[in-house]
Amino acid sequence: MANDLILDVQDVRKAYDGLEVLKGISFSLCKGETKVLIGPSGSGKSTLLRCINYLTVPDAGRIYLNGEEVLDTNIDAIRARIGFVFQDFNLFSHLTVLDNVRICQIKVNGKRKDAATERAHQELERVGLADKAGAYPAELSGGQQQRVSIARALAMDPEVLLFDEPTSALDPELTGEVVRVMQQLATEGMTMVVVTHEMSFARQAADEIIFMENGYIVEQGSPEIMFTDSRQERTRAFLNVIAEHG
Amino acid sequence: MDIYDVLLRDFPFLLKGLGVAIVLLAALLSIGFVLGMAICLTQLYGPKSRFVQWPLVIYERIFRGVPIIIMLFIFFYGISGVVDISAFGAAILAMGLRSGAYQSQIFRSAFQSVPAGQMMAARAMGMSKMSAIRNIIFPQAARHAIGPWTNEFSSEIKETSLAYVIGVVELTRQAHYIITSTQGNILTVFAVVALLYFILNRTGNSLLYAFERKLAVPGFEK
Ligand SMILES: Nc1ncnc2c1ncn2[C@@H]1O[C@H](COP(=O)(O)OP(=O)(O)OP(=O)(O)O)[C@@H](O)[C@H]1O
Ligand SMILES: [Mg+2]
Repeated sequence: MANDLILDVQDVRKAYDGLEVLKGISFSLCKGETKVLIGPSGSGKSTLLRCINYLTVPDAGRIYLNGEEVLDTNIDAIRARIGFVFQDFNLFSHLTVLDNVRICQIKVNGKRKDAATERAHQELERVGLADKAGAYPAELSGGQQQRVSIARALAMDPEVLLFDEPTSALDPELTGEVVRVMQQLATEGMTMVVVTHEMSFARQAADEIIFMENGYIVEQGSPEIMFTDSRQERTRAFLNVIAEHG
Repeated sequence: MDIYDVLLRDFPFLLKGLGVAIVLLAALLSIGFVLGMAICLTQLYGPKSRFVQWPLVIYERIFRGVPIIIMLFIFFYGISGVVDISAFGAAILAMGLRSGAYQSQIFRSAFQSVPAGQMMAARAMGMSKMSAIRNIIFPQAARHAIGPWTNEFSSEIKETSLAYVIGVVELTRQAHYIITSTQGNILTVFAVVALLYFILNRTGNSLLYAFERKLAVPGFEK
């Protein structure tokens, strides 16, 4: 169904000082889909994710969000509709958890304070941190901070959520709590693109796994196919390495 | 009349001198604040063109590189040759411009110590650059700046006494009047003056420290 298309990335290219990092990437995402982006370090996963909301401006290619092209001119409005979860959380460190989840609802979406507050409490509840509303980021564990940053993104009613290695900065014992929140979101029908090395998440939550290397998409397919029957030697080699170390 | 009677009699003059010093201080810090903030924001977020950036660098270097006493002379004698300027006006201008150079540095390093991810997260959520600077970066930079700014405050209090050399009748000059009119007792008079400067300094520092405590947030401890 074409009208279910949320995100359409067409032939995106990006080079840094002549070094081509993205060499023509295309993929699309329908409503409710979760796609997991994997690939070796330096393959361009973060760059691709950041190109989607123009945190990094692509050199070429087109990106459409719900049919609307992402451009320099509409970028603030587009970004408000795309949630972005960073590896190192980037919570606003001078604001309480509640204000972190509230501020962009008010300053960007123009919501009234009481409506924003109510929504913030709902989202904090959803990520299991209702009791931390008054805390400051520095008072939380990494896993809690990441869950707040997910709540912060959710409170904006994003049409799609982008995750860039949301658990990579966490101690191993803290990744579970974040992965569980993400799994729950996937189940509830959130539309997401997730860069991660958490293969258990990819296996269980992904509708499709996209394997990137050297700025290209090497292969994409359902988790069943990618994990058991991937056609590309390189995909299998990468998944084996991950399986051993992860 | 011994020196204590003189001091008692002339104490109002010392207080008046202190008042002049305080007005000078407030004026130069205000000018320096506005200027320093404008320079900092232009350097960090303004046009990268060298026609914009170079004059700022040159200004900053000159005002931080030339002794204030020379600047006071240049401003007073230089400007008064062209337009009618009072010694007080010249002192405010010279010292305000110099404080602007210093404050721009304080603000710049405070803004720069806010991690880049803060701006990125704000922009990623759809905040405009202006809104992100105002709502996210500035409140954090302010917390970083307040300590160094307190130092600037303290050193400017002391430097107001230099306005004496171009004839501003501030605290130090009032003291000098008392000394010349009573021929002597330099130490006693200056001890009282020192005490007044000290009290002003401590009061200001305490207020700023209280402000710092009020802004305190976990994660911003020094
Ligand atoms: N701002 C930049 N300036 C110059 N080169 C960059 C920049 N950002 C990324 N690169 C380069 O682009 C390439 C791809 O980087 P990217 O961060 O997208 O990879 P990645 O797949 O996310 O890797 P990782 O798994 O380590 O996060 C790397 O070679 C990197 O050095
Ligand atoms: Mg990356």
